[in-house]
Amino acid sequence: MTLDSLGLYLISLLTMGGIYAVLALGLNIQWGMTGLMNAGVAGFVAIGAYTTAILTTAPSGMHLGGFGWPVWAGMLAATLASGLLALPIALICIRLRSDYLAMATLGIAEILRLVVRNEEWATGGPRGVAGLPKPFTDLAAPYDQLAYLGMVLALIALVYWLAERAYRAPWGRVQRAIRENEVAAAAAGKNVEAFRLQSFVLGAMVMGLGGSLLAHNIRFIGPEAVEPLIATFLVWVMLIAGGSGNNRGAILGAFAIWSLWAVTEIATAQLPPELGGRAAYVRVFLIGLALQLILLYRPQGLIGEKPPRPLSRID
Amino acid sequence: MADFVSFYLMPGVVLGCIYALGAVGLTLLFGILRFAHFAHGDVMTVGAYVAFVGVVSFGLTAYQSIPLAILVSVLLVMAIDRTFYRPLRRASPIVLLISGFGVALMLRAAILFFFGPDGGVYEQGIRRPMIFATEWGRFRIQERHLWIIGGAVALALTLHLFLTRTRLGKAMRAMSDNPDLARITGIPTERVILATWAIGGATAATAGVFLAIDTQVNPMMGMNMLLPIFAAMILGGVGRPWGAVFGGLVLGIAEELVAAPIWGGQPLLSPAYKVGLSFAVMVLLLIFRPTGLFKGQS
Amino acid sequence: MSLLTVSEVFGGYGGADILQGASLTVASDEIVVIIGPNGAGKSTLMKAVFGLVRLRQGSVSLDGTTITNLAPDRMAHHGLAYVPQERNVFVSLSVEENLEMGHFIRRGSPRAAIDRVYGLFPDLAAKRRQAAGSLSGGQRQMVAMGRALMLDPRLILLDEPTAGLSPKYMDVIFDKVREINRTGTAVLMVEQNAKQALKIAHRGYVLQTGRNRVDDTGAALLANPDVAQMFLGA
Repeated sequence: MTLDSLGLYLISLLTMGGIYAVLALGLNIQWGMTGLMNAGVAGFVAIGAYTTAILTTAPSGMHLGGFGWPVWAGMLAATLASGLLALPIALICIRLRSDYLAMATLGIAEILRLVVRNEEWATGGPRGVAGLPKPFTDLAAPYDQLAYLGMVLALIALVYWLAERAYRAPWGRVQRAIRENEVAAAAAGKNVEAFRLQSFVLGAMVMGLGGSLLAHNIRFIGPEAVEPLIATFLVWVMLIAGGSGNNRGAILGAFAIWSLWAVTEIATAQLPPELGGRAAYVRVFLIGLALQLILLYRPQGLIGEKPPRPLSRID
Repeated sequence: MADFVSFYLMPGVVLGCIYALGAVGLTLLFGILRFAHFAHGDVMTVGAYVAFVGVVSFGLTAYQSIPLAILVSVLLVMAIDRTFYRPLRRASPIVLLISGFGVALMLRAAILFFFGPDGGVYEQGIRRPMIFATEWGRFRIQERHLWIIGGAVALALTLHLFLTRTRLGKAMRAMSDNPDLARITGIPTERVILATWAIGGATAATAGVFLAIDTQVNPMMGMNMLLPIFAAMILGGVGRPWGAVFGGLVLGIAEELVAAPIWGGQPLLSPAYKVGLSFAVMVLLLIFRPTGLFKGQS
Repeated sequence: MSLLTVSEVFGGYGGADILQGASLTVASDEIVVIIGPNGAGKSTLMKAVFGLVRLRQGSVSLDGTTITNLAPDRMAHHGLAYVPQERNVFVSLSVEENLEMGHFIRRGSPRAAIDRVYGLFPDLAAKRRQAAGSLSGGQRQMVAMGRALMLDPRLILLDEPTAGLSPKYMDVIFDKVREINRTGTAVLMVEQNAKQALKIAHRGYVLQTGRNRVDDTGAALLANPDVAQMFLGA
């Protein structure tokens, strides 16, 4: 590997880590802050990715659209579409116990996966949607990806800033109060359902944004990209590893786990091909094992939650 | 009429039996451990693959491999419980749920590592159905379907006798009913938990083998079962074994019927979305009757 | 020598201690009643004896064996039985299955013990196949007490056994408590219904803010004007 290609590799590694950081921040808004167990992150990623794909590609007979919108408009639409999908789900499911909510969101994500796989007229079916525009491509070789990375980082900063503000505001304190003790929060006159609903929809919007970043980065979106393993489970491992409830933990966990994931990919690429294919499964197994070890030995994650103010007061 | 029974009702009952066996374990585990075991579908996959090894490597038939599949699956879930779930017993059920999610992934990865993504069949070739010519028409019944239904019924009855006639079975119901009182009474809770895993592992493994006999072994088979068996559990009322059996049968039959072209020659639902039915049933129930059709634990 | 000795226990559910140095003893042939205002820690003391509340300080011993903070599922092995105030039966199990569960830790048939319990509570024999959840409050209390008596315990702890019962059933339960005691089981109970409880009790403890306030015989407590004014509604 030359120095140049190493640099390029590092940039794309950080880009993917950054995209996952956006997803982890979205999940942290739902789970870390309010305790909503969303096992269907992949569904919101899919909505975001396919929305922007259909809107920003050039007209094609292979899928719905495209409509040739600018990238920023596609990303904005992706964010809104994900929130729009989350709203009815939240209205129906938000009252459920957390394990039922998990099953319901998992089911929704699975059905969405079936839809993108089967509705070829809209999503291209198993072939997916190719040829998404990528911003900054008029720049020279490493700089285009570097600029994309810059955009991802800027968006992380934006989401982080918004989430931190919300977390420290009275709104965030109510969210934590709900997570800790729903009954007490309700007794204090808080409309628990409305707060949970807001948290779920906001988190989903961030996931939609992450999905659009993912699609534009590789200029393609297909059903494999929204498999529960890649798009849901990995995000969960990242958030738990980093420290749920802590936005910085979410970002750190995303970069750390993605680096691990990528490094094991390099390692398995060195293996002979008949083993190399199988070694991918070893990676998955190890990620699962890593999650177990974190749950058992460091349940608070790399950086645990540090609430800015005592939780006992609900105002 | 005969065609409807042969091609839709009978496969529906078979699928329902498989769901029922999956849901029964899930509901017992939920009753005792108070958490939704997300890896249950993948335990079914493990059972199916153990039997696959029995068929391919030891020359057994699929049915003869069932005891082997049960043995391996039961030992496996017990080991998983000791290693991963037991230390989290006092943690919130969500932490256990996430842990189960992780176990599901590990099991699937292990299956994929050893057997690859392609799946396989226990037996090559096409089996001709048995034909029963009656005054209502010619019924074509697959022999394997009779075995599966018979096996499921036998297992359900055995489980029923265990739960109502044995000391340990009654203790299991007692603990599911009121865990605090069970502890006060001196019932050894960890032993009951192990017994529950044994039943959960055995029924899941059998369901997996039955599913693979009816279709094929596939690394994703169990994961695709998770949603329907979860829905079946909720339909029957959480913690109620017979409720889960009923829920499984209803969903299995319903899934095949909505794919039947009985309404103007068109199926009600494209076969690709059959699993959506379970999901719809589950969400509707959760909204309108969260304790199931028969009152279960909320 | 007393069967149960609780000496100067401190503890609670985490946070501030509810028990602030309470002590008591129960002899092997006694009925002992704990009374006191709401929040005095009566039920907490009972739970602490049975290992359901963690004790930070002090000790509990049964017949000379220290059982402080022993796990509740071990208590039955020491001849101690506890009937909680609420959720004290397995509602989905039949009456007879509830009784069988009380015998779980013993090998061998529970038949003789079940018949003994039916002898004490003939009402239950008639309803043996019925789900405990379908019974009236008084009958449930009998099932709960019957379940606790299955191992023929040396000491039975009753947490407000007459709470929420009709006056008719209250009398029945108090009669049964006496009968249980006559057959050789010591009884420690918490009661809201102080007057009636003290009438059948050998001794009583008045608990206030987690500490003993007055200890005396049942009759003397009944006659004590302070106690009468505070708790007996006289």
